[in-house]
Amino acid sequence: MTLDPIVITLIEAVVKTIVVIVALLTAFAYLTLVERYVIAKIQSRIGPNRVGAIGGIALLQPIADAIKMIFKEDFWPSQADKIIYTIAPGIAVGTALLAWAVMPLHPSTEIFGYRVDFFIADVNIGVLYLLAIGSLGVYGIVLGGWGSNNKYSMLGALRSTAQMISYEVSLGLALVGVLMISGSLSLVTIVEKQSFIWNVVWQPLGFIIYFIAAVAEVNRLPFDLPEAETELVAGYQTEYSSLKFALFYMAEYINMITVSAIAATMFLGGYQGPFGILPGVHWLVLKIMFFIFVMMWMRGTLPRFRYDQLMRFGWQVLLPLALANIFITALVMLVVGA
Amino acid sequence: MSLSVPDLNFRVIAPALIVALTALIVLLAELVTPAPRKRWLGVLGLIGLLIAAGATVGLWGAPASAFGGMVVADNFGLFLTLVILLGAALSILLALDFVRAHRVDQGEYYVLVLFAVVGMILMATATDLIVIFLALELLSLPLYILAAFKRADARSLEAGLKYFLLGAFSSAFFLYGIAFIFGGTGTTNLMKIADALAKNPRNDLLLVGAGLLLVGFAFKVALVPFHWWTPDVYDGAPTAVTAFMSVGVKAAAFGAFFRAFLVALPAFAFDWRIVLAALAVLTMTLGNVAALLQSNVKRMLAYSSIAHAGYILIALVAMGASGLSSALFYLLAYTLTNLGAFGAVIALSDGERERLEIRDWGGAARQYPFIAAMFAIFMLSLAGFPPLAGFTGKFLIFSAAVETGWAWLAVIGVLNSLVSAYFYLRPIVQMYMSEPVPGWDRIRVAPLVALALVLALIGVIALGLYPTPAIVMATGGFLR
Amino acid sequence: MPVDYLPILVMIAIVTAFAVIALTLSAMTGPRRPNPTKLSPYESGMPPFGSARRRFSIKYYLTAVLFILFDIEIIFFYPWAVLFRDLGWFGLSAMGTFMLVLLIGYVYVWRKGGFEWD
Repeated sequence: MTLDPIVITLIEAVVKTIVVIVALLTAFAYLTLVERYVIAKIQSRIGPNRVGAIGGIALLQPIADAIKMIFKEDFWPSQADKIIYTIAPGIAVGTALLAWAVMPLHPSTEIFGYRVDFFIADVNIGVLYLLAIGSLGVYGIVLGGWGSNNKYSMLGALRSTAQMISYEVSLGLALVGVLMISGSLSLVTIVEKQSFIWNVVWQPLGFIIYFIAAVAEVNRLPFDLPEAETELVAGYQTEYSSLKFALFYMAEYINMITVSAIAATMFLGGYQGPFGILPGVHWLVLKIMFFIFVMMWMRGTLPRFRYDQLMRFGWQVLLPLALANIFITALVMLVVGA
Repeated sequence: MSLSVPDLNFRVIAPALIVALTALIVLLAELVTPAPRKRWLGVLGLIGLLIAAGATVGLWGAPASAFGGMVVADNFGLFLTLVILLGAALSILLALDFVRAHRVDQGEYYVLVLFAVVGMILMATATDLIVIFLALELLSLPLYILAAFKRADARSLEAGLKYFLLGAFSSAFFLYGIAFIFGGTGTTNLMKIADALAKNPRNDLLLVGAGLLLVGFAFKVALVPFHWWTPDVYDGAPTAVTAFMSVGVKAAAFGAFFRAFLVALPAFAFDWRIVLAALAVLTMTLGNVAALLQSNVKRMLAYSSIAHAGYILIALVAMGASGLSSALFYLLAYTLTNLGAFGAVIALSDGERERLEIRDWGGAARQYPFIAAMFAIFMLSLAGFPPLAGFTGKFLIFSAAVETGWAWLAVIGVLNSLVSAYFYLRPIVQMYMSEPVPGWDRIRVAPLVALALVLALIGVIALGLYPTPAIVMATGGFLR
Repeated sequence: MPVDYLPILVMIAIVTAFAVIALTLSAMTGPRRPNPTKLSPYESGMPPFGSARRRFSIKYYLTAVLFILFDIEIIFFYPWAVLFRDLGWFGLSAMGTFMLVLLIGYVYVWRKGGFEWD
């Protein structure tokens, strides 16, 4: 029996999507635990150690949290714009998940005579797709803040939007250097071209700019102004409860994983090991874990920026650096290439 | 993979490039110029306009196209370029003191004027609908800001907002028209549209597209019934800005209008001339009749500019070489005269107070004999009295219409000119035959404004007495 | 090729389904005990006053406009970067000219205090 290739593609896509989503949700759940534990250790506290504890770590804590979230009261504030208020968390989490459609996870392999690709889609505008989906994420936040009709939410959403679009510029420009080296927008091609030397060797400045902008993009310390709890309660999430709150939370953590994965893919060779050693998904996971650990470490260590410092840093430091990086790369490539 | 670089003939767009470069230099210089010396930025802009005019003259007589046939430097485009540069230079001369009197003495003023000039020049020389659209936006956006440039004045802001909203609306029409034309012919290049039409003169998509395009142009040059923004915007905008946009936009937009219709559409099965003729009649009549009823000089000049758009449209209906050259000559004459008229309003204003009502002009002839005389001459030229530029222009247009069998249109035009004489004469009567209005003391007229007025006057009289060189220059025609 | 995008469509469908399910689930489970105080906007325990829909700083608007400018610039950069090897010095000079014009605007905004939030 032979199936239409379109049908095979569809079935493959469904299976892969479900696997990726389940993996991401699990990763999200355990990241919350890891984060609490890491921050506790940095601050010389014990951290969660009750629910299903093994060796002093509460391994079942995320499941308990999830159950609690599901059974909390879900309410609509009387002044809220009901529709916008409801769909905003959905947009946030949806865009966060969609970024993974183009992420290459593992080299393509033959399994039982089938060639299996470990990515959901390999489109020739992969990087552009990532940026496009990334900027859609802003909508979840700004609609959530607007729909809540709460002053804190509104301010948090505005700040968040201004911050995210400001750093998005540097983020996008930091990737241009990689594109010049790879000559492709397809993430699969970009990873394949790094089988021997990672792009970070040629693009150290671009890498640093990307990472800083990415941290700002996911609203993590020291750029967590949108949720500066001393000023804005919980920013755009203030009026949210129950699973709607959980969806925002989920979106934040998945975005953390996503930007780490993009950093790993664009600069650190994705699933490629150093000097071509044993390429595989374990390398990607390791690299992502490294980035996420750095972000947690920064949260435990750094104080928060003031808002004017944040905007000035983005527009007057990162942006010129990113542009300079592009032109340095161009000059070096032309001079060395000639 | 090899990339072919299109034929970039930068020489062809040298005038626009020079003005753009000047604008950028002025923008940077603005940052380091202390407040009292901002007017030197205007002088810098004037120098740039002069150099650009020199470059335009250098291109004269050797038609060439550039950027894969998107822009041309033919004598039609170059003539309009010169008209635009002249209008911009005179209006900057008018603005140097005006912006200070109105406390909007900022370098951005000149930058915006210069960028608008870039858009105008490109619009007059573009041969591709996409470039025409880009140029249209490039000239419109700075003008929206300029109209609202007096930020402390609610009327100026209102003018800017109105102009912006309606302008954006008309741009949408224009763009939609381009989309239809592209759908009908598969190209946006005017010459290629003409080729496509020559093969197949009936084209319904193109008909829709040309109609929408016409609406877009009609908005920009203020043809009835798309003229509603004009009086409010002309009235509310700072007078120096009104002077600039009343002449520059007309020259640029009519340039593109003529080129689009005369290059691309002559082979079209649908005879669009009758539509334009109807529009011309409507525009002239309504513009003149409405101008009769105005008591405000700026509003009157706004309606008069609508009426003049109607006269120029007759030249488009007449088509052919004589229609083309008469329109070019008319635009030149109109530019000088209208700038002079608005310049006189600026010259006689006392600080921020302007003589906007016609009755404010009472006795002005006794207080300022020279300015009043010049204003009277500009008014007479607008009305079409010989031996002034306005007369020659009207004569050329009407005779072109008669030549090509549109005599009835010419008759309506002449009748309209007669009607218009009434409202053009009214301020003159007021100036010479009434007592001075209390509250308008004699003030010193800014020398640069007087200089601009004298220059315009020389032009108006010279074009009236000895029009031959200008007519010869205007007969260059298109590069096809 | 368009067929490359098919899996993305599938993913959009599944993700939308996930979001819808999560949002309905949260509406169905859990208690429903609303009262006026609970449903009023949270303002740190004080009685809420005024609307949250009020004017906010023009700076946000300015930032958005600047973002659009530079975001379009990124869109110019991407195809240029991909083809950079083929374009060579011509590409660099063309992009350099474009950037120069943009940088003049950037310097202008900087000097005029467009990036200052005080």
